[in-house]
Amino acid sequence: MDALWLIPTFPLLGFLVLFLSQGKLPKIVVALVGAGSIGLAAIGTLVVGNAFLEAGAEPHSQLLWTWMRVGDFVPEIRLYLDGLALVMTGVITGVGFLIHVYATGYMWDDHEEPEGFSRFFAYMNLFVFAMLMLVLGDNLLVLFLGWEGVGLCSYLLIGFYHRNPDNGYAARKAFVVTRVGDTFMALGLFLLFRELGTMEIQASLAAANTAWPEGSTMATIIGLLFLGGAMGKSAQVPLQTWLPDAMAGPTPVSALIHAATMVTAGVYLIARMHDIYVISPEAQFWVAVTGLVTLFISSFTALVQTDIKRVLAFSTMSQIGYMIMALGVGAWSAAVFHLMTHAFFKALLFLASGSVILALHHEQNMFKMGGLWRKLPIPFVSMLVGSVALAALPLTSGFFSKDAIMLTAADNPSAGMVFWGGAAIAAFMTALYTTRMILLTFFGEEKTSAHDSSRWNMNGPLIILCGLALGGGWFGLGVVSGVLPDGGMTSHDHFSPIALVTMAIPLLGIVAGWFVFGTSRGDSIQLLGTEFAENVRRFWYSGWGFDWLYDRVVVVPFVALARMNKNDFVDLVFKVVASITRGVHHVLAVIQNGRLRWYAWNMALGLVLVFAVVMWEALG
Amino acid sequence: MESLFYIAAVTALASTVLVVTGKNASHALIYLIVSLLSVAVIFFLLGAPFAAALEVVVYAGAIVVLFLFVVMMLNLGKGSVARESAWLRPSMWVLPSLLTVPLFLGLVYVLSGEPVQTGGVMVGPKAVGTQLFGPYLLAVELAGILLLAALVGAYHLGRRYLSERREEV
Amino acid sequence: MNFALSIPLEHVFVLAVALFCVGLTGVLVRRNVMFVLMSLEVMMNACGLAFVAAGARWAQADGQIMFMFILALAAAEVAVALGIVLQLSRRFDSLDVDAADEMHS
Repeated sequence: MDALWLIPTFPLLGFLVLFLSQGKLPKIVVALVGAGSIGLAAIGTLVVGNAFLEAGAEPHSQLLWTWMRVGDFVPEIRLYLDGLALVMTGVITGVGFLIHVYATGYMWDDHEEPEGFSRFFAYMNLFVFAMLMLVLGDNLLVLFLGWEGVGLCSYLLIGFYHRNPDNGYAARKAFVVTRVGDTFMALGLFLLFRELGTMEIQASLAAANTAWPEGSTMATIIGLLFLGGAMGKSAQVPLQTWLPDAMAGPTPVSALIHAATMVTAGVYLIARMHDIYVISPEAQFWVAVTGLVTLFISSFTALVQTDIKRVLAFSTMSQIGYMIMALGVGAWSAAVFHLMTHAFFKALLFLASGSVILALHHEQNMFKMGGLWRKLPIPFVSMLVGSVALAALPLTSGFFSKDAIMLTAADNPSAGMVFWGGAAIAAFMTALYTTRMILLTFFGEEKTSAHDSSRWNMNGPLIILCGLALGGGWFGLGVVSGVLPDGGMTSHDHFSPIALVTMAIPLLGIVAGWFVFGTSRGDSIQLLGTEFAENVRRFWYSGWGFDWLYDRVVVVPFVALARMNKNDFVDLVFKVVASITRGVHHVLAVIQNGRLRWYAWNMALGLVLVFAVVMWEALG
Repeated sequence: MESLFYIAAVTALASTVLVVTGKNASHALIYLIVSLLSVAVIFFLLGAPFAAALEVVVYAGAIVVLFLFVVMMLNLGKGSVARESAWLRPSMWVLPSLLTVPLFLGLVYVLSGEPVQTGGVMVGPKAVGTQLFGPYLLAVELAGILLLAALVGAYHLGRRYLSERREEV
Repeated sequence: MNFALSIPLEHVFVLAVALFCVGLTGVLVRRNVMFVLMSLEVMMNACGLAFVAAGARWAQADGQIMFMFILALAAAEVAVALGIVLQLSRRFDSLDVDAADEMHS
């Protein structure tokens, strides 16, 4: 278990090798280093995880070094492994490895950035390193380090195709919006340190339990601040506007960062700091509300999108909303379980869509696709499996996790049926838009010709992920029982009325989708033809108007202020100092006129003055 | 015999004023020689024959002669006299007098008080020589080096082609 | 020639001061560089007079020795200064001290 430090070190070494070699290594070496480092990390996770489980799932920490010593403040770089960290690490390294292998195929013949192969894998490895530090850190500072690191890599990778300025804007938008969340989180960290005096996670949770009574205001405030951080990173309302635009990055990036790992960092944070939310039910309630609102809004938006990646992006937003809501209603283990299964099937969906996009020469509009089920068999099957898991059809992995969440939500004493109702509607919509996606992409007449260019390193991961998406539900996640407050997944009666309804909803959704989209092959809302329907469609399409709102309220005033301050008024102070100096110079320069007699006169004047002073002193 | 001192003093002062206000360079130099000779007389009266001899031989006899050489080399003739009078308008004297007159008055004020008599003893060359080769040996050597430096400097600065070389370049 | 008179010291100093001030005025007023140098010589001579008088007051040789050094100094200075005057006259074609004012701001 003392090989724990190796797990983040492999990706870090991969990054250093690729960064320092500045793209001069041959492509095959880059692929081996880039994907191999994550593979080694995955093997490390297996070894360490095995040892951990055999030791009875006792939490284990490993001190790497002490960061600094400033009086009483002695933060350490320490790695901490418990069930929750193990699950996260497994997801990151395992799914990450599969995505990296896929990416070696996807990015091999990239037309837009042919020289960017090494740079891509350098950034990806750096991302995996940062994410691992985030989940393995025992200290909130190390977590924050990883937090910021993944934000940076997200920016770098979204803007990977940097020659198109729109990608740069998307990357910048992602960074700025998550920054707002990061600020809340930083405030939460400061407050927590000031109140509890320590940044170590376990120590601070213990201190919180003793220091704060049930319902304490301080815990509520800190909990809400951390929620703010989670909102930014995990693309929840109101900081969700960056995620759809983040699809400008290459598809493996969308799969890894914006589906499986980075966006789940907020979920991890809240799960990790669970004691605070147990102390403060009010904060926990707001967590649940945030999740509910997000999952509801985004499911409608996904229904009317045309770009296949945007459908998946809003779907991710919705599923993370499920996770957040689960945390909010106390289904801690279910949330983490859903995190894991979501990583499986969402990565699968993104990678499969990547194969489709590549085969159609980077065509991403679903209305230009069609009839591909014969030409692209493996992507077709993969997307089918992934969609089935996403829609949570019975016995898939998504079924076990999502139904657990919904049933626990229904049991919530404060507003159980509201939560369950919203989640149910969203589940219906999920099945609906998933069916739409499959039908538009793979069935009907072929609008764009495709040729299957995928190789073993793209199809292999797809097949493995299919297996995980179908069978991952049987893992059960006993490991997190020691960590999270609900002591493992609460077992529900799968045959109670509400459970049966929950099970049936996705089936209803699929049937409805078949009827509406399978037969008429179009956007059904458009089919309705009325102007009201068209307005509704446009409203949903724009993500419920958040971009429009933020543009009016935040961006335009800020840009106006920046323009007013073009002649920086703070700079003015320094400019005044400079101009005063220059003015004095011009005045004094007059006495340097180059004339000897003038200088002599001044010397004599000095002499007379000194003499006068001395005489004055001498005479008293 | 003390009156000899006052006569020499007046002569020195008068000729110095004529030097400073003179328009013809050569004439001014002659007046300078007169001034220096008067001061030499005063040195004799103070009992410093060695200093007096030095004043005559080195100051009046070498330095002023050097001046005369350069003046003659530069050919300052009648045209220069006219130029000098143009440059020496009475209004030019105002500002410098503003400086020197207070200085003079102040110094005189400092000197006023009970007059002290000078020793009345002659200090001959022998005494001076003994001091020179005794306590002031180092200073003599330094003076020698100074004169060497002046020699080299004067040689270099006086070269005719220093400015011509610049024109070539 | 073995005599030395008892002259009041202050009077000698007053003479030295007067000569010094006249020389200073000359340096400040004259525009012809030769006259400036002459006035400079006058000033140095005045200093020498003061030194010799002081030496005579104490009947010591030190005053004359200082005078000798001042003389050496004056000689050195004149030699170099006249070299500079020659360069000045060649370069600017005049002996006006104000002509060489190129080092202004």
